Amino acid sequence: MINIQLTVNGKEYSLSIDEDKRLIDVLREDLGFIGVKEGCGEGECGACTVIMDGKTVNSCLVMGFQANGSNIITIEGLEKDGNLDPVQQAFIDVGAVQCGFCIPGMVLSVRALLDENPNPTEEEIREGISGNLCRCTGYNKIVEAVHLARRYENGA
Amino acid sequence: MIVHQGKTVEEVLCFLAKHENCKIIAGGTDIIIQMREKKISPDALVDVSKIEELRKIQVSDRFIEIGGAVTFADIVNSPIFDGKLYGLKEACRLVGSPQIRNKGTIGGNIVNGSPAADSIPSLLCLNSTLVFKSFRGVREVKLEDYYKYKEQVGIKEDEVLTAIRFRKPAGYLRFAKLGLRKALAISRISMAAMVDLDEEKRIKGITIASGSLGKYPMREREVEEYLLGKELNERTVEEGLEVLRKATDKRLKGRSTYPYKRRAVERLFREVLRGVVS
Repeated sequence: MINIQLTVNGKEYSLSIDEDKRLIDVLREDLGFIGVKEGCGEGECGACTVIMDGKTVNSCLVMGFQANGSNIITIEGLEKDGNLDPVQQAFIDVGAVQCGFCIPGMVLSVRALLDENPNPTEEEIREGISGNLCRCTGYNKIVEAVHLARRYENGA
Repeated sequence: MIVHQGKTVEEVLCFLAKHENCKIIAGGTDIIIQMREKKISPDALVDVSKIEELRKIQVSDRFIEIGGAVTFADIVNSPIFDGKLYGLKEACRLVGSPQIRNKGTIGGNIVNGSPAADSIPSLLCLNSTLVFKSFRGVREVKLEDYYKYKEQVGIKEDEVLTAIRFRKPAGYLRFAKLGLRKALAISRISMAAMVDLDEEKRIKGITIASGSLGKYPMREREVEEYLLGKELNERTVEEGLEVLRKATDKRLKGRSTYPYKRRAVERLFREVLRGVVS
């Protein structure tokens, strides 16, 4: 076992983990953030996406001990004071969610995209979510939701 | 398994010297998959992804030095790689997905040695040198030799690839790749070219390198030699392509994927050579 400290959704944790655990295992099994989904386990599908130190990563491709000292945001950390994040609200309002399995990762990729680029073009949106696969073929609605989230945030 | 989060290069070298069957992890985008598929089972793992010295891109009068743990996203976001070096930026921009680019490193791309590694053809065109450090000292190897003579000069168990260094180029570097789809595609073929033209559009310096057109990424020297000194125009590009075809015929004939690659390479070759002019 090895001791690590990390911040998840604004709260600091100090815990002892198995050396061979990946970040996704630590988040789901040790800390209970089961909004993080494991799809392919090899960095193709993006279901396990979390925001690590401001950037999206596949949490199945980060070892738990590598996250020592990092600041992590999972889907559970997006709502503030009982209000959904504008991205989450936009996904609901557009109806961009079908089975829902890809959505936590998808929403976090969109959150990171809008944080970096508040006014992305259609192409930049598609590039921004290119590491998140949706097998319900819901991309058009998802892209529409990103445009709506952008409007919610820019107040227009 | 013993794991350790490295803070400095010296400390990592110390850890590597002390532990047998130890692997370095940076972005983790290849090694974690290899471990889960039980292709490798290291007894120790040392993380270099948070070491400042390895995350720097340094520019001096004549050289550019990229730290081994610099990520693809770092390169894409750096203004250093606009203009003449755009080919390297383009190669890094086309790697995997945003998540992979945020973690995957240029050092990992090199030492993992995939024939399809996206950043390599551009780095070959720049005649890059690799800098390895260990407790025994510093060792430098030309990137081209690294693949050619992997057995002799490949990374040793106690070494860290600390930097990739190349001279600021005179000409323009361009890159093109063919994947099966846009995102997350592993290159089926890739190609980079750097061309320096004189005022009469004559080629006074040229390097061309390919990915997935052989056992490892390589310079296409026969094509370079053919084009050197000639004027760069539609006709010479087609003639250069013919030289490339002959070279790849020798290397790849009989492979099931070759008839496809032989055709597909045409567009990439034209694209990179036209790109260096515009």
